[in-house]
Amino acid sequence: MQSVFAAGYTLLVGVDRASPALIVLAVWTALIKVIVIPVSIDRQITRQLSEHEVPLVVQVPMSLLLGTALAGLAYWSSSVLPIHGALLPTPALGMPIAFVLVGFFFMITRQNAVSQIVGLLTIENGVFFATVAIAPGLPFVIGFLLLLDLLPAVLFYGVFARLIAARTKSTSVQDMTVLRG
Amino acid sequence: MGAWLVICLALPVAAAALSLLIGDRRASAWLTAAAASGAFAGALVAVFAYHASRGASAFGGSIRLDGLSGVFLLAVAFVYAVVAIYSVGYLLPGIGHVRLRRIYWPLLNLFGFALLATPVVNNLCVMWVAVELTTVVSALLVTSEGSDQSLEAGWKYIVMGSAGLAIGLLGIVLIYAAGIATLGDHYSPTFTTLVGAAPHLNRALVHVGFALALVGFGTKVGLVPMHAWLPDAHSEGPSPISAMLSGGLLAGALYAVLRLGAIAQGAVGASYVHVLLLVFGVASLVLAGFFALRQTNYKRLLAYSSIEHMGIISLGIGIGGPIAAYGAFLHVIVHAAGKSLAFFGSGGLLSRYRSREVDDVRGVMRAAPFTGVMVLLGALAIAGLPPFGIFRSELLIVTGGFSHSSFAIAGLLVLFANVAFVGLYTTFHRMVLSGEPPVEPVRRREQPLMGVAMLVSLAVLLVLGLWIPGPLDQLLHSAVGVIGGRS
Repeated sequence: MQSVFAAGYTLLVGVDRASPALIVLAVWTALIKVIVIPVSIDRQITRQLSEHEVPLVVQVPMSLLLGTALAGLAYWSSSVLPIHGALLPTPALGMPIAFVLVGFFFMITRQNAVSQIVGLLTIENGVFFATVAIAPGLPFVIGFLLLLDLLPAVLFYGVFARLIAARTKSTSVQDMTVLRG
Repeated sequence: MGAWLVICLALPVAAAALSLLIGDRRASAWLTAAAASGAFAGALVAVFAYHASRGASAFGGSIRLDGLSGVFLLAVAFVYAVVAIYSVGYLLPGIGHVRLRRIYWPLLNLFGFALLATPVVNNLCVMWVAVELTTVVSALLVTSEGSDQSLEAGWKYIVMGSAGLAIGLLGIVLIYAAGIATLGDHYSPTFTTLVGAAPHLNRALVHVGFALALVGFGTKVGLVPMHAWLPDAHSEGPSPISAMLSGGLLAGALYAVLRLGAIAQGAVGASYVHVLLLVFGVASLVLAGFFALRQTNYKRLLAYSSIEHMGIISLGIGIGGPIAAYGAFLHVIVHAAGKSLAFFGSGGLLSRYRSREVDDVRGVMRAAPFTGVMVLLGALAIAGLPPFGIFRSELLIVTGGFSHSSFAIAGLLVLFANVAFVGLYTTFHRMVLSGEPPVEPVRRREQPLMGVAMLVSLAVLLVLGLWIPGPLDQLLHSAVGVIGGRS
């Protein structure tokens, strides 16, 4: 869902600045993040969650509240910085920082390998947003590479998550407690 | 110079492609060793014959060598070369085992390439990509023994490393945005441009950007509190890979921090950069010292020692004077050699005793005198005992601290260097010199190539402890100049 917005926003900025590179990037983002990655993650989930239910550390209502609070914090902290986006009138950094914070929150509170991937993707989306919003001269170099980076990343995580599930019969990271200290 | 750097970067790529194509283990292994040695030779020529200390660029400025990159390039190329040689001796006769046998050699070469590319590229974004590539490749290498623990370590490493690098990228984007007002919307973020324009960058953005970049790349450096992946990855990976992580990967990420630091210094003043480095440096030094005391796994002990040494280098830069910074750069090189020696030795122990636990390893001196001596010397070297190079660099950092009136920092450094010494020495003394082995170790003759790799590392440690050759001295001084300390 987020990724749809990310692609859409890139497209808007691209059209606005008449930059073909950004439009290409938007299509590319849509293709990978909206189609390829969710499908592969979805497969992971259906394969694994049918067998195991991993307990949540923070319950859903509480985590919604905390997520909202984090987003608020992000907007407040970014309003201090003198940055303005190409299209968004308010301080453009708020949303990306909110993404990053919520992504970390997600990774910390969900004790499941697949959720950690989703959290990581959220963080990367945030960074992507930040790039497009405040430094649109940069994306063609960086956004492309970021996306290229995502595919192998997800493949690796897929491999890892599956291997771990095969070994410990669960994708819960709480079972990974051998290495400490 | 350009040609030599190209050789230095192309050899690992060629070796990776060829070893993937031919798939024969023996041929790939020797190819890797040859390519790595060639890359090291190329790096030596590029750095010294062309006076990298004065700064030189090639290919329209997309590749650039100056003092700072020269120091890190040498350290990384050295580790890559000795690790490749050691790997041949360790894996071919079946002394060490990896499950991903076919892709071990291509991955090792790619890892070497990414590490060599990090210090020589002249573009913020490309540098980030190179560091990210090291994560992907080395995470696979960490899991290459295929045990449950190594999977756990690899998972932790890749999740923490990627999250860290995403933050690092955010930092880079902010620093880029800081230059838009002066340099225009579509400038290429090369170091030369940014350092030149530093006084005109947006200060608030550079403040936040550098802090984020330090946290992000600091995750890969292993600075406390972002270090949690490091002991796992170092202890569960095969020993040559542990050496490469410790001497190469951590240094490469630290290079990224220092490069960005050089830009941030020009924009917001040196004291901001120094204070941040000091905070993380002290945290790493202190925590790693304590953790090192209570380790029962000798490879984890060495990993905590890596965190400590990264902390020491950060302190050396953070203190801010030319003497301490000089010491810190020397430390980068000698730490690479010292950790290689120590991890190579630990590979010898692991293959004989089949255990990473200190309590299972006793009487090494009787079972394998050569490995015993090497391991003990390695432990003494990284614990900072004279006449090894690490003693010299630590002494320089402490001297720099005192001459710069950073008495508290210098005092802490001395104190915790001693704590680490106690942790390292007592443990390795117990393993090597005392007692009867609880389990009969595997008897085998020393493998000559493993011995060569260890002796070369030992020689570097000894030579740099006693004497610093003129060109290296020049290079270290110019590295100090790059990060703003006058010398």
